[in-house]
Amino acid sequence: MNTAPMDSKMIRRLVLKDWYFQRKAMLVYLAAGALALALVANSGEGSFFAGSILLITVLITVGIHLAMATVVEERKDQTLAFVMSLPVSAKEYTTAKILANLLIFLFPWLALLVGSFAVIASRTALPDGLIPFTAIVLLEIFASSVLILSVALVSESQNWTIGAIVFGNLFFQGFLYFVSHLPDIAQTMNGPRIVWSPAAINLLVAELTAIALLVGLTFWLQSRKTDFL
Amino acid sequence: MTDLAVHFAGVGKTYPHFTLEEIDLELVVGSIMGFIGANGAGKSTTLRILMGLVHQDRGNVRVLGHSMPGSQVAAKRDIGFVSEDLRLYKAATLAWHMAFVRSIYPEWDAAYALDLARRFDLKPEQKIKGLSHGQRVKAALLLALARRPRLLVLDEPTTGLDPVARHEVLGALTEVLADEHRTVLFSSHNTLDVEQISDQITFIDRGRIIDSDDKESFLDRWRRVRLEVPTNVTLPAVPGTVDSTRSGRLAIVTTNRFEPRLTAAYQAAGATVFAVEPMTLEEIFVADVRSRREGKAA
Repeated sequence: MNTAPMDSKMIRRLVLKDWYFQRKAMLVYLAAGALALALVANSGEGSFFAGSILLITVLITVGIHLAMATVVEERKDQTLAFVMSLPVSAKEYTTAKILANLLIFLFPWLALLVGSFAVIASRTALPDGLIPFTAIVLLEIFASSVLILSVALVSESQNWTIGAIVFGNLFFQGFLYFVSHLPDIAQTMNGPRIVWSPAAINLLVAELTAIALLVGLTFWLQSRKTDFL
Repeated sequence: MTDLAVHFAGVGKTYPHFTLEEIDLELVVGSIMGFIGANGAGKSTTLRILMGLVHQDRGNVRVLGHSMPGSQVAAKRDIGFVSEDLRLYKAATLAWHMAFVRSIYPEWDAAYALDLARRFDLKPEQKIKGLSHGQRVKAALLLALARRPRLLVLDEPTTGLDPVARHEVLGALTEVLADEHRTVLFSSHNTLDVEQISDQITFIDRGRIIDSDDKESFLDRWRRVRLEVPTNVTLPAVPGTVDSTRSGRLAIVTTNRFEPRLTAAYQAAGATVFAVEPMTLEEIFVADVRSRREGKAA
């Protein structure tokens, strides 16, 4: 077992490498997200729903895109051999991949989260009570992206990753139904005030815990691997 | 004590359908070893264990004084690795790759990198996706060589290349290796490629190392002896005979321990020696593998 300390400079280089290859795609997603927010901000119910669906689609796609492009394709395109021929340990590789994916994902995610809050707060037709619901939904998409990344990293398999994507999307549909029908949430989401009910807080904590557990589990499973090519 | 760049002692790895058997391998600093085996013989597994990318189930591996896989990061600072299944990022230019590798290796020699680009006929500003397979291999070689590694590990770098590209890559590699004092481990299933640049040869088959020696000794001790043998004469059993075929009065004996006394022994038995033929490395490899598989090796 390698117990050597991790090389933070090496990890930074690997993160920047992934950012270099994904930066243009992220800007496209950001533009699509901005369009979604513009639709949400526009008056009209149809425009609101179209914008909401586009926003959710953009964020789900960012997560899928990142895991596929930075992990699955690196394996498929055999650039993983190039990376692993460098003075990099498996632990550093895993850390760099998780950091790169989280940071790159957070770039459009945070922008769109803040943008969503701003649109809801500024548009009188949209109830401010939607803000906790929006935070819960967008954090679920973040957690789902971490799940897809974890499966991609551990399995290094396109098929398993696709399975995780399907599971994540099905779970999201059920989650939306479940959350929107929770009495604590349903009673306040259409109200004029932002209410962080115990149910909302519990859901946010559960989502953050799931993200932390997934990251921890990924490191643990990666540390047990004996073959990296 | 001899300085060893690579030392495998009793190394094994078991997969469901393949086992790398107790591998013992020594590569002396400054030598160029050709690692020859058929497809699926265990070459890539051995080299991946050497790089720390696959962990051995048993045995010890030391590379440039570092224990593997535990100290792989330290070892890989001094290893240049080019593999048939190693690819560069298609969307990036060679110049991007050069800058990326330079940022990792303080020993990166920028002038040498540009010299290699010129010698390999590569344009740094060109994207990898626009390069031919041969050019991509040369680009990977450039990235490995310009960091001035103490050990160069080449895993089937010429596989999949068309004859012209293969010739170009080998020519470039030979030229580069000729003016440098490097330790190189070069695996291939193509003996002609290995023969050109190696001074040590190791054969691997079905997960076992079956022979290892310096190239000249291999070529010196393997011979094919053509004989005329009267029908009432039986050829004496001579140590080192790996194959003996007889058709009527004609016999062909393949030996891996040729010396003049061998022909004298056959002549003393009543046979006439027509010819003692040197063998190519490919012929030696095939004869060695076949005899080991048939359990005839002396």
